[in-house]
Amino acid sequence: MEEAVYKIRSLKHSYCGQTVLSIDHLTIKPASIVGLVGPNGSGKSTLLRLLGLIEKPAEGEIRFNGRAVEPFSHNARFQITLLPQEPFLMRRSVFRNVAYGLRLRGDSVNAIERVDEALAMVGLSSEKFSRRPWYALSGGEAQRVALAARLVLRPKVLLLDEPTASVDAASAQLIREVSLKAREELNTTVIVASHDRQWLYEVCDEILHMVKGRIFEKGHENILFGPWTKLGPDLWGKKLSDKQYIRIPAPPNDDVAAILDGLSFAGDDETIDDRKFVLRGVVTRFNLERNSGRLFATVLVENQAFTLELTNQQAEERTVFPGKTISICYDPDHMRWI
Amino acid sequence: MIEKSVWLLPVFILALLFPSEVAAERGKTLTMATTTSTDNTGLLDYLAPKFQKATGIELKWTATGTGKALKLGENCDVDILMVHAPNAEKRFIQNGFGTDRREIMVNDFVIIGPENDRAKIKGKSIEDAFGDLRARKATFISRGDNSGTYKKEVFLWKTAGLPIPDKEPWYVQTGQGMLSSIQVAAERNGYTMTDRGTYIKYESNWGGNPPLKILVEGDKALLNQYSVIAVNPVHCPAVGYDEAKRFVIWITGKEAQRLIKNFKLLGKPLFVPNAAEKKNSTQ
Amino acid sequence: MSFLLNGFFQAIELLASGNAETYSAIFVTVKVSSYSMTCSLVMGIPLGFCLGYFDFRGKKPFRTIIDTLMALPTVFIGLLVYAFLTSRGPFGGFGLLFTVPGIAIGQTILALPIVMGLTATAVENMDEKLRITILSMGANRRQLFLSSLWETRHGILAGAVVAYGRVMTEVGISMMVGGNIKWHTRTITTAIALETNKGQFAMGIALGLVLLTIAFCVNVSVALLRRRT
Repeated sequence: MEEAVYKIRSLKHSYCGQTVLSIDHLTIKPASIVGLVGPNGSGKSTLLRLLGLIEKPAEGEIRFNGRAVEPFSHNARFQITLLPQEPFLMRRSVFRNVAYGLRLRGDSVNAIERVDEALAMVGLSSEKFSRRPWYALSGGEAQRVALAARLVLRPKVLLLDEPTASVDAASAQLIREVSLKAREELNTTVIVASHDRQWLYEVCDEILHMVKGRIFEKGHENILFGPWTKLGPDLWGKKLSDKQYIRIPAPPNDDVAAILDGLSFAGDDETIDDRKFVLRGVVTRFNLERNSGRLFATVLVENQAFTLELTNQQAEERTVFPGKTISICYDPDHMRWI
Repeated sequence: MIEKSVWLLPVFILALLFPSEVAAERGKTLTMATTTSTDNTGLLDYLAPKFQKATGIELKWTATGTGKALKLGENCDVDILMVHAPNAEKRFIQNGFGTDRREIMVNDFVIIGPENDRAKIKGKSIEDAFGDLRARKATFISRGDNSGTYKKEVFLWKTAGLPIPDKEPWYVQTGQGMLSSIQVAAERNGYTMTDRGTYIKYESNWGGNPPLKILVEGDKALLNQYSVIAVNPVHCPAVGYDEAKRFVIWITGKEAQRLIKNFKLLGKPLFVPNAAEKKNSTQ
Repeated sequence: MSFLLNGFFQAIELLASGNAETYSAIFVTVKVSSYSMTCSLVMGIPLGFCLGYFDFRGKKPFRTIIDTLMALPTVFIGLLVYAFLTSRGPFGGFGLLFTVPGIAIGQTILALPIVMGLTATAVENMDEKLRITILSMGANRRQLFLSSLWETRHGILAGAVVAYGRVMTEVGISMMVGGNIKWHTRTITTAIALETNKGQFAMGIALGLVLLTIAFCVNVSVALLRRRT
């Protein structure tokens, strides 16, 4: 069993007296792709910044490859790199931006080739782009250059903060592919914070939900986020489309998040309890969790993804496969607010 | 980075030049404080090279108002003074700040005013003229600063037995230089007192026909006595007393006095040398 | 009004004919401003950078003081420096009064708060993502400092240009501390003051235009430098 890339213990961080992050323990396995999901202000960026050794946590310890680390830690800082959300380049040419990290390490051997290689990885031709100044790029191009600047360093850890949020679709696709490639070719551990669940479900081995600075139930729980509206007398929820909505009991406020317990498969011939609420969606993914042997299906209802656990028997008997439209149901009273 | 060290280069060069800057300022030089009106006549520009040729000493002078020139002497910032305010000079010497005072030349002040001369002072004595100006409440422009000209004007009011019209509405104090004050007088159609040198310039600026003309001149009280005073080495040990003394000797000598006599401003004579007239005043 | 046009022609004539007094004034001006700009930049940029970059107790009041010092009148500085450099003053023994270095000291006092304040502002306006980017690439503390400094170079340059403008055009310090001594401490600005006082307005305009020409040449070089980097 390889040493965990990251081991976090009792991590707490605060800004202006407010605690923004509070994680008891967390382990990240090497060469894995981990997704961080959560609303704005949930602490995703903060966690990335701490893992990226940009800031020192108020409390707690981060261990990287077994060693305790903090900002400017000698070995660690050469192996960990963070790509911030909005595209940002230094005031210099594309070439010098990408070569910057190499110069910092005093490692400029074959710099030109390595830069060209990194630019090619992000789909930019070095002929066209190498000499361009920082202000002559589109948002997507700039973000790709920023990514190239990090890939050229062949980092052990790549932290991406909303990498596809401020860019065009083509760049988003490319960044997605590059992240996978980095893991395959360089054994890089990738940790991605994103709102783009589609992206995440396709790429990530593991998804961590974050709400209000805490990590909730890694992986397969269903966490539903607001804003909630009153849909009718004594009826609360969130509209997903003209035909479907998520129903919830009266929420304490319209922004709270809810954990849905007990999502189950609603077969066509099963008696549906009056209390159960039904949604119809398409199976987009069907995974076997290797360690536990459990089966999980990702069901997309309009634009909301649900994770449904199935038994082998259900899967066989109901012939569940990606692309099939199925019904799922839950009891709205079985919800926990967080 | 090579780029970084390039930036240090000019710093080094400047650092090397700096001490030589300071050192070069010493050597055989004489620092003088004089008044702006003296400097404006161009007399010093004319005399300085001749002094340097005769003695090898370079004359450097700063021109300010009389008050400041005396202050510079008192503060030991200059070696010698050339000013024209006899009462202040005598006090300067009495306080022990100066020594070797020698009168060197005179020029005169004139009262100028508009051609129509409403107050009718033309040709009168200074006492009568001032009396008439006051009686008619004619607009009179004064320097109102600490200059030799202003001190002279105050002296004249006093000797005429008249109070200084400080708060009178017809008495305008500009606090500015002589030429500027003349211009104010011209704009206000008023009278003013000026040294002849500045008037010659003003007249020339107008191509010989200025709006204000000389109305009162020649009165003995209007004479303007210039003197040189060496800064007292007892009060200021670091001062260049030897050089100052050499200047005093040179400027009161026959050659320099002749040069002063022949000096012309815009073709007109300006100063009358009088170093030899009497054995001089308080030491 | 005609003196405006006369002044223009006179400016060309002064420069073309190699008028000795004019060129002496130009030389003195360039010397003095070079000294004062070098000193104020060498001291002001690092100090200003630290002021903007670090947090420390009393930072806000200190910044307010610097901002206030930016508005020091030149005659006031001239008086202060005179008080220190006068023969009977604390630094009288150095013989700096009525010299070019003396004026440079006063002008450095003038320029230093400007350079410090504007550098600090440029640093404070640094994007947070810059810090993240630099650290992400593996910089140590020294590299972080130097790279951040380089990234704010445009803001710092702007501050230097403002300081230079003030230094080139000031009269109060040059007059008080320099004494406007011909061939030695007569700068273009004190020469303008002198000529205007003598009523030679055309000459004043001429010298003013000469000054503008110099400032223009300097700013053209700055613009080229800006483009190169």
